[in-house]
Parts: sequence; structure tokens; C-alpha cells
Amino acid sequence: MRREDVQPLLLQAADELPEPELADAAWAAGVRVSRRRRRTVVISVIAFIVLAIVASILIQVGTSGNADDITPPRTPPGYVEASGQISGIDFWVAPPPGSERFLDRLETPLGDRLELPDKVRPLAKHTLNSVAAVVLVKQGDRYAPLLLGADGSWAKADVGLVAVGGESPLSPGAISPYGRVVAFPQPGELITVNASTAEISHFPLSAGEFRSVSWVQDEQRVLVSGPGVAYQVVVGEGGDGERAVLPVSAPDDPDEATSPYRMQTGAVMRYQFNGQWIDDSPLTLPVRSWQGQTMSSNSAAARMFIAEKLPEVPTRVSQPQVLAAISTLRTLPSRLLVLGEPQDSPPTYEGAGDRPFVREAGCCVVLGWYDDSNVLFRVHGWVLAWNLDSGRVRRVTEMRVDQVALGPGLRL
Amino acid sequence: MHDTVDPDFASFVDARQGRWLRTAYLVYGDLNRAEELLLRAFTQLSVRWTRVDDPDAFVQRMLYQPAMRPWNRAKPFPDEEDPVKRALAELTPAQRTVFVLLHLEELTEFEVSELLGLSHTAVHAHGMSAFGSFRASLGAGDWRDAR
Repeated sequence: MRREDVQPLLLQAADELPEPELADAAWAAGVRVSRRRRRTVVISVIAFIVLAIVASILIQVGTSGNADDITPPRTPPGYVEASGQISGIDFWVAPPPGSERFLDRLETPLGDRLELPDKVRPLAKHTLNSVAAVVLVKQGDRYAPLLLGADGSWAKADVGLVAVGGESPLSPGAISPYGRVVAFPQPGELITVNASTAEISHFPLSAGEFRSVSWVQDEQRVLVSGPGVAYQVVVGEGGDGERAVLPVSAPDDPDEATSPYRMQTGAVMRYQFNGQWIDDSPLTLPVRSWQGQTMSSNSAAARMFIAEKLPEVPTRVSQPQVLAAISTLRTLPSRLLVLGEPQDSPPTYEGAGDRPFVREAGCCVVLGWYDDSNVLFRVHGWVLAWNLDSGRVRRVTEMRVDQVALGPGLRL
Repeated sequence: MHDTVDPDFASFVDARQGRWLRTAYLVYGDLNRAEELLLRAFTQLSVRWTRVDDPDAFVQRMLYQPAMRPWNRAKPFPDEEDPVKRALAELTPAQRTVFVLLHLEELTEFEVSELLGLSHTAVHAHGMSAFGSFRASLGAGDWRDAR
């Protein structure tokens, strides 16, 4: 067999096949395939668009969820939840006695420890623009005021103060609202020391043991009060025809004569320049007795009180003491800080920290405000600051002096 | 793509369908399969009709390359008494495909090589061995005696 013989054999083998007619069938099948492909493409595009929309919606939802996460918190850093409510007011419980040393610190010119300074310059040679604190140093039977400036330097005023009723003549409200003048109650008179000029002024009053002073906000007038007697004394520029010494309605407790607000059982009262107080807002608190003066900021008034039995904060060995910070603005809430007592009864001392003690009545008073959020108060051996926004209590300074009055020069 | 068949496409198909059906029949040894594959190849061509540069090569590739696939194991020419078809059935799928394209379609070894995606050497070897087996099956003696 030769190669040329193969083709005829193959043609013969396939010779009997029918003649196909595939053109129409192939074209019709091609049309169907083409339409199916086009349909597939359209469906794919629609599916892709739908998926893209769904994905974008999911991303949007996820992003908005994250946005919630990055929304600034409604509470400040270190916020402490309130422990509950007393008379409808949120209250916090202060750290127990003996733990003050371990609290976070609020930096002030007072430093870590407030003690009588080694180096003191005469105020006449070293005047101060803003007084941060005043302490008294006893020299014989007299007291000399030492003024701490905002820069941390000390100056001694050239005046000798006498004790009032056997106590030192330093009132927590001694420093004027702008920190330039310090007022001291004295028997039968009021003495002011201008820290920026070293000028000493005497304002004679009728006989009486004046124990408390409180500055009216304009820094031109001072309320000075003793048991059953109180005066408004013009120490700056008074109004035309204004009496230099105006008797005011005297409460029994000298510490109650305060300006611009005065907290007493049943009401917060606002001082009028005419020597009267008017009701500002009702106050319902379980008060047994008030302690110290009312100290006011731009938005609140604060005062310490000894409470009746508090079922919310039971105490074992002491009567509960409460720092009330009552808002004078309707939009801000009032708050209470209940001073705790030692964890153990009787207090045990294990060598770490300070020896715990029971906060007896009268140990603790409000000393003033660092700013509108931080109220300063004294406990046994310490000055503490309570932040109304966060509820945290911080230590300000350890007290190695008996008494101190604080002023606006504290703010660094 | 229009619903009515393109006249050029119809002319192209009409001119080739008979010859390619016979070739596919001998390659696959099954008329139904050959017709099915040819229709599929023409269908694919119709979808690309205006875009294909060489319609002959396109259809032949789609028609014959499936015969080279390893899973193409269907027995060709079952129950056939024709000695030529039985001789073709004795060949491997690759041998039969190469042999039919060389001798019926009268393609060169290079054209077969390009069509099937084989090397020229492989096409030559398949062609020689297929020719020898075909001759032997038909009782025409050893292929080396052929001229």
C-alpha cells in the first residue's frame, strides 16, 4: 500500500455520511449563547453594584460605630461614680483618714508640705501681687501674719495681732477675692494688710470679739462678725453716702456671715450690699450643725456640715461629716462629699502611710476654691481638693501649721 | 448579533460542513459525537464571527483538539465490519487524528502540528506509526515497504 492509496480508502469509509445542515442551528445556538453571556454580564454588574452598595452601607455603619467610640466621653478623665444620693443630691465618699499621702497631688505654691518658712522677708521690702496663703506665727502674746505669694516666696506683715477669744485671729475668708488684701478680725477693730503696698489699715468697730471675716465680691467691703454682732466695713472706695461701718443682721454663728452666699439650714442665701441676705434657693440636707464658713466660687457655694445619721453612709465611731457643694446655677448639679472614717475600729496602724484617726467634729472645714471645679478643704493634717466634675479627691499639701487661709494666688 | 443568520457565515458553513463532518467522523469514530463537536465549533464561531481572523483554523482547532485530550477514551467505530474503520479503530486517538488530517485533509505535518498543538517531531512520529499500523491492519505488509 502506498500513501496515495490511503485517501481513497478514507473517503470511501466516510462516504455514506448524510450531508449536515448546521448553519442555521449554529447561528441560532450562537444567538442563545450571546444572549446568555450578555445576561450574565448584566447580572454580574448589577450584583457587583448591589454588593458595593451593601459594603458601603456596612462600612458606613461600622464608621458610625467607631464615631461613637471616638466621641469625647461625657465624664472627665479619672471620673469616679457617685456612691448614691442623699436628699436627692449625688454624693461621693472621701478616701479614709490615713490615706491622704497616697492621693494624687494638686500642684500649688503651698508645695508638698506647708510649714513655717526659714526665710521670710518684710512685706514692706517684698510686696506680693497675689496672696496664695496666710499663716500666723506666734511671737510672744501676739501673732504675726506670714503671707505666701503666688511665686512661693514668703513675706511678713509688720503688724501684731492679738488672739480673739483665745483663738488665733485667722479666718478662712481672710484673703480678698483678687488676692491683694488680707483682713484680720480683732477685738473692736478690723485690720487689713495690702500685700501689694504693705499698707496696714485699722478699721475701728464697736467693742466685740470678732472672729470671722468674709470679703464682699467687689473687694471694697468686708463682713466681719462675732457672736451676735456683724458689720459690713468699707475698706476701699464705698458708694456716695455709704456708711463706712454698716451693722448687718447678725447670725448667732460668726462663721455664717459670709458673702456672696451663705449656706444655712433650709436655704442658700445671697448677700445684698445693704447688709441683708435674701433666699436664693431652698436647701434640704440632714444637717445637725454647720462647720466653718461658706466659701463661694462663680458657680457654687461650699460648706462643711455634721450630718444626722446617714443610712446611706453608716459610721461606727464618728458622726458623718459632709462637704456640701451647692450649685448656684440652675444648670449645674449640686454634690456632696462624705468624709469617711478609718476602715478599722479602733484604727490600726500597720506602718504604711499615716496613722489613721477618727475625723472628729470640727476637724474639717472648707478653705476655699482652687477654681470653679475644685473645692479646697482641710482635714486632720492635710489640705485636700475635691474635683466636682470627676468626683476625685487629691492632696494639696500636708499641714504643719495650725491654721491657714487660702487665696486666689494658689492657681499656678 | 442578529437573530437571522449572517449570509457570509451561512456560506462559510455550507462550504465546509460536509468535509469536516467526514473528517471528524473518522477522527472520533462516532458520527453523533462528530456532529455535536462540529455544531459546537460553528456555534462558537458564530458568536465571534466578525472578530475571528482565521475561521478555518478556529473551527478545526475546536473540532480536533478534544481528540487529543487524555480523557477521550470512547471506543471508536464500535461494531463496525468495514476493515478501514477497524484499522482506524486500532490506532491511538493521537495517531488516528494525525493520520486522518495528513491523509484526508491533506494538511502538512507543520499545519497539523500547529493545529493540534504538537511538535513537528511528534506529528511525524504519530503519522509514521499510524501509517504502519493502518497498513498492517489491512494486510498490506510492513510500512517500511511502502513507497
